[in-house]
Amino acid sequence: MEYILHILVIAGIYIILTLSLNLIVGYTGLPALGHAAFSCIGAYASSLLALNAGLSPWIGLLTGACAAALAGIAIGYPAVRLKGDYLALATFGLGVIVYSIAKNWVSLTRGPMGLPGIPGFSVFGFQFSGIWSYLLLVLVFVAITIFIISRIVNSPFGRVLLSIREDEIASESLGKDTTKYKLLVFIIGAFFAGIAGSLYSHYITFIDPSSFTLMESITILLMVIFGGMGRISGSIVGAIILVVFPELLRFLGMPSSIAAPMRQMIYGLLLVFLMIKRPQGIMGLYRFK
Amino acid sequence: MLFNQLLLNGIIAGSIYALIAIGFTVIYRTVKFFNLAHGIVYTAGAYFAYTLTISLHLNIILSFFLSIFFAALLGIAIDRCVYYPLRRKSASNMIFLLASFGVFIFLQNLIQLIYGAQILTIRTGPVKEGHHFLGAVITDIQILILVVSSLLLVILWMFIKKSKLGKAMRAVSDDPIAASVVGINPERIIMTSFAIGSALAGAAGILISYETNIEPTMGFSAILKGIIASIIGGIGSIPGAVLGAFFLGLAENLGIWKISAGWKDAIAFAILIIFLLIRPWGFLGVRTEKKSL
Repeated sequence: MEYILHILVIAGIYIILTLSLNLIVGYTGLPALGHAAFSCIGAYASSLLALNAGLSPWIGLLTGACAAALAGIAIGYPAVRLKGDYLALATFGLGVIVYSIAKNWVSLTRGPMGLPGIPGFSVFGFQFSGIWSYLLLVLVFVAITIFIISRIVNSPFGRVLLSIREDEIASESLGKDTTKYKLLVFIIGAFFAGIAGSLYSHYITFIDPSSFTLMESITILLMVIFGGMGRISGSIVGAIILVVFPELLRFLGMPSSIAAPMRQMIYGLLLVFLMIKRPQGIMGLYRFK
Repeated sequence: MLFNQLLLNGIIAGSIYALIAIGFTVIYRTVKFFNLAHGIVYTAGAYFAYTLTISLHLNIILSFFLSIFFAALLGIAIDRCVYYPLRRKSASNMIFLLASFGVFIFLQNLIQLIYGAQILTIRTGPVKEGHHFLGAVITDIQILILVVSSLLLVILWMFIKKSKLGKAMRAVSDDPIAASVVGINPERIIMTSFAIGSALAGAAGILISYETNIEPTMGFSAILKGIIASIIGGIGSIPGAVLGAFFLGLAENLGIWKISAGWKDAIAFAILIIFLLIRPWGFLGVRTEKKSL
């Protein structure tokens, strides 16, 4: 039971990540490949504040999300000036740079040794210790994310995003400052990814750079594509299936030295298969142009 | 003296990057997408060499050529299984890129499943002390890397410039439709370019396996360096790829003179991003409209 609840908490965190990436990739059509960088910044900012300054994780969560949003500006600024493959490669590179900082700035992040003993959340002195309370907390954040992102994509702002995705030159000709919109999308996406990173760090209580590799970014992107590009329900389904399904490998009695590469092989194969057979995903509305 | 050593290390790294970047460029010129699976061909080259030399006890020269041959076959197989169906659907570049990444992830983990995640080494016998040269130390294997990679570069250059097949490759690269009008089969040319490009990546992997340890994840950083070198040299240009590769190798190795070696990848990407923003057509590339980027 404990284990199933743990999987649900992880799935919830991935739903937030997938939704925020879907806003960038699926709704605006920007192939960003470095999403784990934002959750990395959120997680480290939040954990470091809690560990070094003794601040409440709630403040950490907010600061982490804002730090990630700031990184969204820094990463988005060069990225939105590029197109297609080059944007993908640049965000990839910025992901590598953030990962290198987490790994090599040892005096701050303790590098590969990671940060142990990150405190959990508490409300009015009541500590979120049981897994049920964490599940509740994550579900609240998932609900908030779904609400805000669906409001964004159904607003006039969201319609501009769709128009950028479908035909950027046409939306420019209608007087929309597409660079500004794309940058805003990066900031919003980064903000939610920062929340997810912070939730993860306070839940697991330990983070190290290996949780935020490029493979992690690709996994989130795969969830977006698999569920469906430009669909909120798709992201929820994609995240849940791709978190839960590999766990079944454990029940087949595979040792983790086999299960871990197996899981990645399945992800790789799934990515190839989707690209050949169904690049818009199971319920998607958009494929990469 | 440290400067000379770093300079030499930069040149050796640059010659490996050059092999990868040129292989990548040869493929890019005919198919026009970023083939990330190129990196796994590099890894596979090293593991083929390991299997043939250590597990099957083959002669090192024979296993070198056999491994290159297998790497070329692997490149062709990836093209036929994955890229050919995508070409028939005229998929977008981004779809090709993600599919090639899927291939990369799949094969990397397959290698890890077969050989394990730990590092392996081909070196047999004791480590010999290197030769002293202008205050820097160079080992026999490093000399071999420099000689073999320059030889391969020259052979490739002659092939592209002089041979009929090389000319056909250039024709397909410039204008595939016009090339097919004059009777060049583009599919055959694409297959040739995958064979040549993958052979070069495989050769790079094999050479590096004589020099250092090999591990399943080695291809990732390698292909990124190859792509970065190709872009900063001018995407699609073979001399540009060589120039970009040596520039990158030197910048990384001289960069760690002042900052620690863990930052190598970050330095490479920082260079890429600066280039993409201020000179996206690279050193030798043709200046294009900004929109086509």
